[in-house]
Amino acid sequence: MQRWKQYGSLAALFAVAIAAGLWGFRATGGALPWAKRSAKALQRGVKESGGSLIDLGRGVVIAGPIRKGGMVLEFVGLIVLLVAVGIALYVYADRYRGLNDKTA
Amino acid sequence: MAHIHLGEGSFPLWALVLWTLVGVGLIGVVTYRVRKGGIKTHQIALAGIGAAASFAIFQLNLPVWGGIHMNLTGLVGILAGPALGALIALVVNIFSAALGHGAVGLLGANTLVNATEAVVAYYIFKTLMRMDWDIFPASASAATIGLSAGAVLMGAIIVISGVNGSALPRADLTIAVAGLVGLNLGVAVIEGILTGFVVQFLASVRPDLVGLGDRQQGEEDLSGVTA
Repeated sequence: MQRWKQYGSLAALFAVAIAAGLWGFRATGGALPWAKRSAKALQRGVKESGGSLIDLGRGVVIAGPIRKGGMVLEFVGLIVLLVAVGIALYVYADRYRGLNDKTA
Repeated sequence: MAHIHLGEGSFPLWALVLWTLVGVGLIGVVTYRVRKGGIKTHQIALAGIGAAASFAIFQLNLPVWGGIHMNLTGLVGILAGPALGALIALVVNIFSAALGHGAVGLLGANTLVNATEAVVAYYIFKTLMRMDWDIFPASASAATIGLSAGAVLMGAIIVISGVNGSALPRADLTIAVAGLVGLNLGVAVIEGILTGFVVQFLASVRPDLVGLGDRQQGEEDLSGVTA
């Protein structure tokens, strides 16, 4: 398929999704974190509000239930464990790749 | 990023039972197909890495659209395939619920939502590749559509179930949920672009990872792509 059609379709898809996102953002309380937004919207219904779409000052934070529940250490431990298992599996798979891609 | 963040007891009991049964049914079918079709060793490795990446990013709240997290379920679906993608969705949701991010009672519903994202993204990606699309637009479109499908399912689950303690009539609840779904579509664009770049990079260093061999042969491998 011609490249301009591919990117045109992608741009159209993005345009529709962003329009829906902007409406949803304003209709469900504006600049609110997701959990607070969904709780408020489902209890009180739609309520127009604004705020900035991007708040770089807040930075990237660990999800509220983990941060406030004091589970950050467990979260980091799980990440380390999953990454270690993932890398170990990759090394294992890479080592045995020559052996005909056996089924596991 | 669709994910039902309601607390325990937010859904009526019948809804919990219903979504848990449907979720168990989905995982049962997926497990049966995986056991019947087998998994290549390298696909397990890909699934392990995908689960780690998805779980990690699941817990990070980004300061855009008010504060959202990404799932990477579209990326996981494209790389690991629909069967392993659904299993990864289950694993990520179990770990997340264990940390308090998502209710344990909603594991079935949330697994359904995230598995849908992975499955839809996989099939859209395969379809677009067969239509000879480039890697970036194909993967970005697939991830965006997959995530949108998950968001719509999330909304449908909430509306069908109703929310305990909410005085909203069903019509008003539907409008509120539509707003949440709409926001998710906006977030899907960010995740779609990210997925597009990741898949394009992987295609440049390991083209077999994104199934370019499949495109040439016109074959489809339900258990995922090759590594």
